[in-house]
Amino acid sequence: MKKLRKTFFPLLLILPMLFLSANVNAQSDPTAESPATRTYAIQNATIVQAPGNVIEGGTIVIENGLISAVGKNVNIPAYAEIIDGTDLFVYPGFIDGMAYTGAKRPEQPERPRNLFTPDPPNEYAGITPEKHVVDQIVIDDASISSMRKLGFTVSHTVPYGRMLPGSGALVLLTEKEHADLMLLQEDVSLYTQFAGAPGAYPGNTLGIMAKFRDLYRNAELSKQHSEMYASGPAGMERPTRDRTLEAFYPVVAKQKPIFYNANTALEARRAIRLKNELGFNLVIGNLQQGWDLVDAIKNSGTQVFMSLELPEEPKEAKEEDQTEEVKQLEERRMEFYKRYLTQYAEMKKAGVKFGFSTIDASAGKIKKNLKTLLDYGMTEDDLLAALTIDAAELLGINTITGSLEKGKLGNAVITKGAYFADDSQVKYVFVDGDKFDFEVKEKKANGENAAPANAEAIVGTWSYTVMSPEGEQGGKMIIRMEDGFLAGTLTSNDGSPDNDMQNISFRDGELNFEFTIDAGGQSVLVLVSGPVTGNEFDGEATVEQFNVSFPLRATKDEAK
Amino acid sequence: MKALNMKKSTLLIAFVLLVTSVVQAQVKKGDVLIKNATVITITNGTLENTDVLIRDGKIDKIGKSIKTPRGVEEVDATGKFVMPGILDAHSHIAGTSINEGTSQVTAEVTMEDVVNPMDVSIYRALAGGVTSIHLMHGSANVIGGQNETLKLRYGSTNPDDLRFEGAPRTIKFALGENPTRGGRARGIQPQSRMGVEAMLRNSFSEALVYKKKWDAYRKDKSSKKVAPEYNLRMETLVDILEGEILVHCHSYRADEIYMLLKVFSDFGIEKLTFQHANEAYKVAPELAEFGAGASVFADWWAYKLEVYYSTAYNAAILTKNGVNTSINSDSGELIRHLFHEAAKTQKYGQLSDNEALALITINPAKQLGIDHRVGSIEEGKDGDIAIFEGHPLSTYAIPVMTFVDGVKYFDRDNDVKDQRIYIDPESTIETVQIFDAHSQHRCMEDAEVVNFYDLFNNK
Repeated sequence: MKKLRKTFFPLLLILPMLFLSANVNAQSDPTAESPATRTYAIQNATIVQAPGNVIEGGTIVIENGLISAVGKNVNIPAYAEIIDGTDLFVYPGFIDGMAYTGAKRPEQPERPRNLFTPDPPNEYAGITPEKHVVDQIVIDDASISSMRKLGFTVSHTVPYGRMLPGSGALVLLTEKEHADLMLLQEDVSLYTQFAGAPGAYPGNTLGIMAKFRDLYRNAELSKQHSEMYASGPAGMERPTRDRTLEAFYPVVAKQKPIFYNANTALEARRAIRLKNELGFNLVIGNLQQGWDLVDAIKNSGTQVFMSLELPEEPKEAKEEDQTEEVKQLEERRMEFYKRYLTQYAEMKKAGVKFGFSTIDASAGKIKKNLKTLLDYGMTEDDLLAALTIDAAELLGINTITGSLEKGKLGNAVITKGAYFADDSQVKYVFVDGDKFDFEVKEKKANGENAAPANAEAIVGTWSYTVMSPEGEQGGKMIIRMEDGFLAGTLTSNDGSPDNDMQNISFRDGELNFEFTIDAGGQSVLVLVSGPVTGNEFDGEATVEQFNVSFPLRATKDEAK
Repeated sequence: MKALNMKKSTLLIAFVLLVTSVVQAQVKKGDVLIKNATVITITNGTLENTDVLIRDGKIDKIGKSIKTPRGVEEVDATGKFVMPGILDAHSHIAGTSINEGTSQVTAEVTMEDVVNPMDVSIYRALAGGVTSIHLMHGSANVIGGQNETLKLRYGSTNPDDLRFEGAPRTIKFALGENPTRGGRARGIQPQSRMGVEAMLRNSFSEALVYKKKWDAYRKDKSSKKVAPEYNLRMETLVDILEGEILVHCHSYRADEIYMLLKVFSDFGIEKLTFQHANEAYKVAPELAEFGAGASVFADWWAYKLEVYYSTAYNAAILTKNGVNTSINSDSGELIRHLFHEAAKTQKYGQLSDNEALALITINPAKQLGIDHRVGSIEEGKDGDIAIFEGHPLSTYAIPVMTFVDGVKYFDRDNDVKDQRIYIDPESTIETVQIFDAHSQHRCMEDAEVVNFYDLFNNK
């Protein structure tokens, strides 16, 4: 516990700097921003229908939400808006296998007074499988537009929470007036993770594994009872309602998979162990250490979404510090850095079909990470398959999306230059047949969205001090603007590794961000918030898990 | 015709291998001939100039001038001592979690779920001649989680490969200050030693009621029968009552040790080992009469109030009273020299060489129910062996090789410095300390609110 390892965690982009979406209201629209037509034809483009299946100089027609034609010689309806596809590449819209995209983290449940820690209320224990992610969806959440801008059109969005937060849904990354209208499919998965309740049962992996078995066995019995009762109730004890157990019924019936957020090889093995014992359909999402798991995955029939979060490339020590021993340690570290990257191609080669999940990946890094994988054995077709058709197959939606075929959903990403080329730019994304145009209002922020100018004020290097209980600790807080989003890093004067600042937002003079530290296997989330006055930040860092706060103050360094 | 048969059988073998490798991960088994050693068998005296042949992971032959079978590696152990691999009956290395400390009865949790085969402490233990450990749940709970007996097959990333296949299930209990401290911190039972006993009795009584319900359900021939609620915690307690799970109980004081003997007598539970048991010497005859074992420290005490009344003669007194006694480490550091710990019983209590070494070999094997497999050098037992330069009870003893199932996992002459299995690419390269404080004192880890000094201290 003593060694504090700080790890890089997802940078969820919260603050949209550029408001880049088209208004797609289909109703009567006094602002007159509605599109005149929902029929589009992209002409004379390079159309990648599916990995390895390319039409040069082709045309694709998207009409009323569906792909109505694709090919070389295609009739374009007279009422279609025509987009000149010269220099443009059209790909199937990307599919995210597991993410929080569109979901808002609810308030942490308050610790009840006189909590009986061995048996806390389900809400506090984080055992709420009866909940649905749609209740957490915020239609204009910034994560939707930032993922869409990358080309993602469908997200398997899972709810925030602890051990069993609820059911995930397939969400169209579009703009609608109500979350229901964005749902492609509801309740497609039961989401679970190794996240214990703070100071209550189940507190860690030990309790979580046992609790899962207990819930599952009781769900089996309860399901059996209610079915028997339904077919002949007379003379039989009436089954009592238990929404927690009922949420498992479709899982027991193998109609709904368990989606396990299993980041490490050990976590993945634990999830597979539960599957082998209990027999449910298992999908592992967010996997970062899969290289030793090919057999375990194949033998158990587990499906996988690999993480799109990659480790940072290690930096070598300065030459004068490079003793023989340091060199050897650096070599092994580099060997493992490569292990994280080459596993994707190796798993593909070994016949493990996988999609990608972005739950731990920051939007700002995804494209860079995809390109990194290209350098480590994945081909463009492999990447595209994982982003589109393979993900669609794993999620069971390949009949309606995942490739550019007539009759499928109008989900497409259109780029200037090939997507994976260095200077490529996403020009349009079609979601459910609606066009999102990234050419308009490029770069400059418009008047009603004053955030960018405002946010520029905090960009720069700050010197911070944390007054934690055992004394002061300090370092630099470096805030940058990356592709129109705020990003940041916390460095530490004592030489411990840098920490990503996540969920940075700056509104009305209030700076908010989070960072995660790994305290001996226990992930600890620190929330920081406070006002910025001139060059002074007067923040408070809160660890909700332990219900403590302490001051974090920073002063902006003078620009040189 | 002969050639054809040969081909068939090769095919058959290949097929069988294929099938078994699919069914379960194959654990590596080795062949080795250790030549001309002083063999400390523990159960059959010490044999000079003797060879030990291990075939396919098992001790095949012990004798003089054994001919080296073709393809079998030979180890010249002239002038060296060969003893059974050391067993540690109380360890917290190789676990990603130790306590589910939120509840005072957690019989349903199991260390089997949190085995970490990548813990470098495993290699350090091998370097101290240890071949098996009893990975225990912590002592925060009156009835803690189930433990896991492991073989230290270091190098695999699959936790299942380390499992001591066929070892009986065991569970952790805890008496005294640790569980009552947790109870008081959380405002729940138990807050006193009286509460501990009440909790034990209540838990077993509940388990009996639970068992009755399920027995009645199973007997019921009605088509309208409804299954009672399933409770993994109660299922485990029933298994304890039925003797399927060996109990290992954290304890210090004589009065509470005696209390548990009474509780177990009342519920008819027989398989019991007391862990730590610093005051066990005061109730040694009672322990012997019950048939309970004791797994103790050589000379470690006074780290809290209930551990003051202690003596380094504990192991010797218990041994002389006929209590099956072992010496354990409970530490990632002590585990590297358990042979020194055992030797202390010669200074304090004049135990014989064999009695002293039994404390870290056959005795813990009996306490874990694995003495038919390990704990002594006998034909037919597992090829779990440690080779020493110097007598293992000598201050100058140096472990030089350690074998598990005939596979060499430690060799002092080929001791690669960096033994990490997985490396975090984002880790910094820093001074590595041989002494890993993290493996020390994990008994109460996660049982208390995280200490902020620990959380923000990077040193």
